[in-house]
Amino acid sequence: MLVLVLILLPLIAGALLFLLPRDDVAMSKSVGAVAAAAVLVLAVAERGESWAWRWFSHPFIAEIHFGATYLSHWLVVLLALCTLCAVLASNVPRTRNMIAALLLLEGTMAGLFLARDLLVFALFWDAMLLPVFFVLIGWAEHPATAWRYFTYNFAGGLTLLLAVAAFGALYGSTDVIGNPAYHAIASAWAPWMLAGFAFAFLVKTPVWPFHTWMPQTYEETPAPMVAVVSAVQSKAGLYGFIAIAFALFPSYFRQEAPILIVLAVISMLYGALVALVQADAKRVVAYSSLSHLGLIVLAIASQNPLALSGALVYIVAHGLFSAALFLVLGYVEEREETRSLARLGGLGWANPRLTGVFCITALAALGLPGLAGFVGELIILIGVYQAGLVWAAILALVAVVLASAYMLRLLQGATNGAEVPDLPVRRDLTLLEGLAVAPLLAALLYFGVYPHALLVLMR
Amino acid sequence: MMLLLALLVPLAGAIACWALGPWLRNLAGWLATAAVGISFVATLLLWGAATQPGGVHLALFSWMSGFDFGLTLDPLSLLWALIITGVGFLIHLYSIGYMHGDRAFARFFAYMNFFIFAMMLLVLSDNWVGLLVGWGLVGLASYFLIGFWFERRSAVAAARKAFILNVIGDVGIMFAIFLIVANVHSIRFADTFAASATFGAPLLYAICAGLFIGAAAKSAQVPLHTWLPDAMEGPTPVSALIHAATMVTAGVYLVARCAPLWSHSPRAQMLVGTIGALTAIVGAILGTAQWDIKRILAYSTMSQIGYMIMGVGVGAYAGGVAHFFTHAFFKAQLFLASGLIIHALHNEQDVRKMGGLRARTPLAFWAILVGVLAICGIPGFSGFFSKDQIIQGVLENGHPWMYGVGLLTAGITAYYMFRLFFITFLGEYRGNVDPAQLGMAPEAVGAEVAHEPASTGSGEAHAPAWVMNLPVALLIVPSVLAGWLLFSTDGASSPWSRFFAAQFPTAAQASAAAVPEWATALIALGVVLAGIGVAVARYATRSAQANAVARLRDESLRMPKLLVNAFYVDTLIDGVFVRGARLLGSLFGRILDPHVIDGAVRGVAASAVGFGVLVRALQSGLVRAYALVIVLGVGCFLAYYVFGIPR
Repeated sequence: MLVLVLILLPLIAGALLFLLPRDDVAMSKSVGAVAAAAVLVLAVAERGESWAWRWFSHPFIAEIHFGATYLSHWLVVLLALCTLCAVLASNVPRTRNMIAALLLLEGTMAGLFLARDLLVFALFWDAMLLPVFFVLIGWAEHPATAWRYFTYNFAGGLTLLLAVAAFGALYGSTDVIGNPAYHAIASAWAPWMLAGFAFAFLVKTPVWPFHTWMPQTYEETPAPMVAVVSAVQSKAGLYGFIAIAFALFPSYFRQEAPILIVLAVISMLYGALVALVQADAKRVVAYSSLSHLGLIVLAIASQNPLALSGALVYIVAHGLFSAALFLVLGYVEEREETRSLARLGGLGWANPRLTGVFCITALAALGLPGLAGFVGELIILIGVYQAGLVWAAILALVAVVLASAYMLRLLQGATNGAEVPDLPVRRDLTLLEGLAVAPLLAALLYFGVYPHALLVLMR
Repeated sequence: MMLLLALLVPLAGAIACWALGPWLRNLAGWLATAAVGISFVATLLLWGAATQPGGVHLALFSWMSGFDFGLTLDPLSLLWALIITGVGFLIHLYSIGYMHGDRAFARFFAYMNFFIFAMMLLVLSDNWVGLLVGWGLVGLASYFLIGFWFERRSAVAAARKAFILNVIGDVGIMFAIFLIVANVHSIRFADTFAASATFGAPLLYAICAGLFIGAAAKSAQVPLHTWLPDAMEGPTPVSALIHAATMVTAGVYLVARCAPLWSHSPRAQMLVGTIGALTAIVGAILGTAQWDIKRILAYSTMSQIGYMIMGVGVGAYAGGVAHFFTHAFFKAQLFLASGLIIHALHNEQDVRKMGGLRARTPLAFWAILVGVLAICGIPGFSGFFSKDQIIQGVLENGHPWMYGVGLLTAGITAYYMFRLFFITFLGEYRGNVDPAQLGMAPEAVGAEVAHEPASTGSGEAHAPAWVMNLPVALLIVPSVLAGWLLFSTDGASSPWSRFFAAQFPTAAQASAAAVPEWATALIALGVVLAGIGVAVARYATRSAQANAVARLRDESLRMPKLLVNAFYVDTLIDGVFVRGARLLGSLFGRILDPHVIDGAVRGVAASAVGFGVLVRALQSGLVRAYALVIVLGVGCFLAYYVFGIPR
C-alpha cells in the first residue's frame, strides 16, 4: 500500500490545491510543503513493498503493479527531496498553480519510477509531460516552447508505447520490470523494440543529437519546475536505459552499446563546449546538463559494474546540484531581473549569503573533490576505464576540465567583479530560500564524503 | 586522535570564521591563528611516534571494498605538516596586521584556515583519493584567495586561470588512479607500492606521467606554470603561504611520496628531471625581466621548485625535499618582508618606484638581505646546503646536463635576486618620480590604483606592529640555520639523512660522482659570485646609483619582447585552447544546434504526411483543446489494449 500512497498522495494533494484560494500564497505553500514532506518521509521509509492488481489478461497480461527496486527507491527519494525544495523555493506569479503542478509532476514521476509493468510505465511516461507542458503554457515567454517540449517528448512516448505493445504481444506479459522470472525475449523484433524504447529514452535524457528541445525548455521554465525537471525528469530516460533497455534486452543492448558510447561522449564534449559560450545563465546549466548526463549514459553503456554503481551516485549528485543550481539561478533572476551574464555581476558584496550558496552549488557541479559529483565522476570513470574504453575515459576527463571553465564563468560572471550600478539591489537570501537549498547542499556534502549508502551495488 | 585533531581544528576554525564572521570581527584573525597553532602543536606531539618504523596510522572509513580511507604520518608527511602549520602559523599572525581593516577580514581567515585543512589532508592521506581530495581543495583555497579582492577584474581572471590549470592537474591524477585501481584494486599507497614491482614499464610510466601532470600543474612546472605569476593578485600573505612555501610544493611531495614508483621507471625520472631543469632555468630567466616585486619572487619560486622537482625526479629525494624545507623559510620571509614594503608604500609593488628604502623599512631590508643570501646559496645560509645537495644529487644519479643547468640557474638566480635587492634598497627613493620617466607602461600605472584593499576606513586603531614584524624576524633564524641540519663531516650521517633513513632507503645512487661534493660547492659559489658581480656592476656601483632613473628607463624600454611576454606561452595557450574551445562552442551552439540538427528534425516532421498541417491546426487552438486531444489520444490507446489485439 505504501507505494500506492507515494503516487496518490501528491496527485490528490496537487488536485486539492486548486480548491484553495488562488491568492493565498502562504497557505498553498504550507499545504504543498506538508504534502511534499510527507511524501519524502514515506519515500525514505519505504522498504521495497509492492502492490499489484491484475488489469487485464487478454491479449497479454498487464498488471497495475508498483514496487521499488534499489534504483527506483533512490530516484523517488531524490524526487521527493527536490519537489519539497522546489515547493519551498516557489516564488513566482500564481504560486498556487505552480505548487499544484509540482505535486502533480511528483505523483506522475513517482508512478513512473515505481511502475513494474511496462504499460503502466508508458502511461506515466506521457502523464509526466503534462504538468510541465501546462506550466510552460502558463509561464513561458513563448508558448511555442511548450509545444516543442511536448512534441519531442510525446514522439518519444509514442515509440515507447508502440514498443510496449509489441513487447506485450510477443512476450505475453508486460509485468516485467525488475521481475526475476523474466527470461530474455528472443524475437526478430527485439532490436526494433529496443530502438523504440531507446528513442524515447534518448530524447528524454536528452542525448546528442536529440537534445535541441532542452535548452529552450530549461531556459523558459520557471525555476522551481525546471529544478525538478532537470534533476529528476531527465533521469527517467537513464532509469529506462538501466531498468528496461539493459535489463530486458541484454544481448541486443550489448550489441548496440558502441553507438550509445559514441553519442554519450559527443554529448559530454558538445554540451561542455556550448555551455562555455552561452550568454544566458540558465542555458549554461542546460548545456552543462547535456554534458553531465552524457557521462551517466557512458557509464550505463559501458556495462561495467563499478561504472554502474558510480552512475547511481552521479544520478543522485546531478539531481541534487542541478536542482540547487536552478533554484539559485531563480533567486538571482528574481533579484536582478535578468539572466544575462553580460549584465550580471558584483553580487558578492550585495548578497553574500546568496553568493556563498551559489558558489557551493557551482563547485558541486564542476566536480569539486569532497562533494558528491566528484565521487560519481571518479567511480564511473574508473569503471569505464576498466571496461576498456580508455579513449572515452580520457575524453570524459576533457569534459571535466571544461566543466570547471564554464561553471566558473557562470559563477564569477554573476557574483564577482565590481557592483553593476544599474542592477537593482535587493535583500540577501531569506531564511526560507536558504532552507530550500540547504538539504540539497547537505546531501551533496554527505555523499561526497561518505557515499557508502549509494554504492550498495558493489557490496 | 591527535592526528585527527591536527587535521580538523583548522577546518573548524574555517567554518567558525565563515559562519560567525560578522560577529567575530577582528577576533577571527586570532581565532584562525590559534587553530593553526593547535594543529602545529598536535603535529609536534606526534613527532616521536611518526619517526618510528611504520609511522602513525589511523583508519577512517571505507566507501566500498578497495576504497579504504585513512591518515598516515611518517617522516615525509611529518616534515610537510610541520612546515604547513608552523610557517602557516607565522603567516596567519602576520596577516592579522596585513589584512587589518579589510572589509572581508573574517572571510580571509576562513579561507586561510580552510587552506591549512586541505593541505594537511593532502599530506596526511594514506591513499590516492584522499590525496586527490586534498589536492583539489587546496586548489579551491588558492582560487578563493587569489580572487579574494573579487571586484578586481584581473584578480578574478587570475583565480579562474589558476583553478582551471589546476583542474588539468587533478585530471592527470585521476587518470593515474584509473590505472592504479584497475591493476591494484585498492586506492592505498601501501598496496600500490607493494604491487608496483609487478607493473610493466609502460604501465609504470603511464601512472607516473599521470601523477606528474598533477604535480606539474600544482607546482607551476613548464608548460603549466602560467597561473603562478598571475596568482600574485592575491594578498601578499597568501603568496607567501600558498604560492611559495606550501601548496606549490605539493608536486615535490607527490613525487617524493611515490619514490617507489619513480625509482623503477627511468623514463619517468628522465621526464620529471627534464621538466624540472627546464622550469628552473626558464623561471630564472623570466625572473630577470620582471618589475613587480611579487612577480620577481613568483618566478623565483617557480625556478626554485624546478630545482626540487629535478632533484626528486631523478632520485635525489633527500636533496629535493631538503630544498623544500629551506625554501619554505626563506621564500616566506622574502614575501612577508616585501609585504612590509608594500604596506609601507601604500600598495606600491613596482620596484622601479622604490629605491633607498633601507632607512624606511629596516626590518624588511635585513630580512630581504638574509633571504637573498639564502636563495643564492651563499655558504652558511640554508639555501647553500640544500641547493648543493640537489646539484650534486643529479650528478650522482647520472645526469650531467642537469648538473650544468642547475649551476647556470644558480648564477642567474644570484643576478636577479641581487637586482631586486639593489633596486629596492639602494640609491634614492623614486616614489615621486614620474612613472613615464621610469619607462613604466601607462596601463600598468592605472592598474596600481586598484591594488588598494577595500578598507572599512572607520578609523579603527591599527593592529599592533609586532604581529607583522615578529613573524618576519622569527623566519630569519631558520633561513640562516636550517641548512646546517644537512651538514655532516663524514658525508652520510647528517641529522637530515637520519630523519629520512627509513623513508628513502639509500637508492641505487651510490655511484661515485665525477666531481666531488666540495668541488661542486666551489664551482657553484664561483657561478653565484659571477651573478652577483653582474648585478653589482649594473645596479650597485656609485655611477649606476646616480643615474638610477635613466638606467631603469633604459632597461624597461629595451627589455626583449620575448621575455616581457614570458616566451609567449600564455599567448599560445590562450590562442589555441581557450579560443579554440570558444570557437567550437559558438559553432555548435549557434549553427549546428539551431540550424543543422533542429533543421533535420523539422524536415522529418514536415515530411511526415499531414503532420505539418496538423501541428499548425493544433497550434491555433486553445489550451483546453490541446488537453482534450491528449486525453482522447491516451483514451484511444487504452481502448486499443483493453479491447484486444487480433492475434
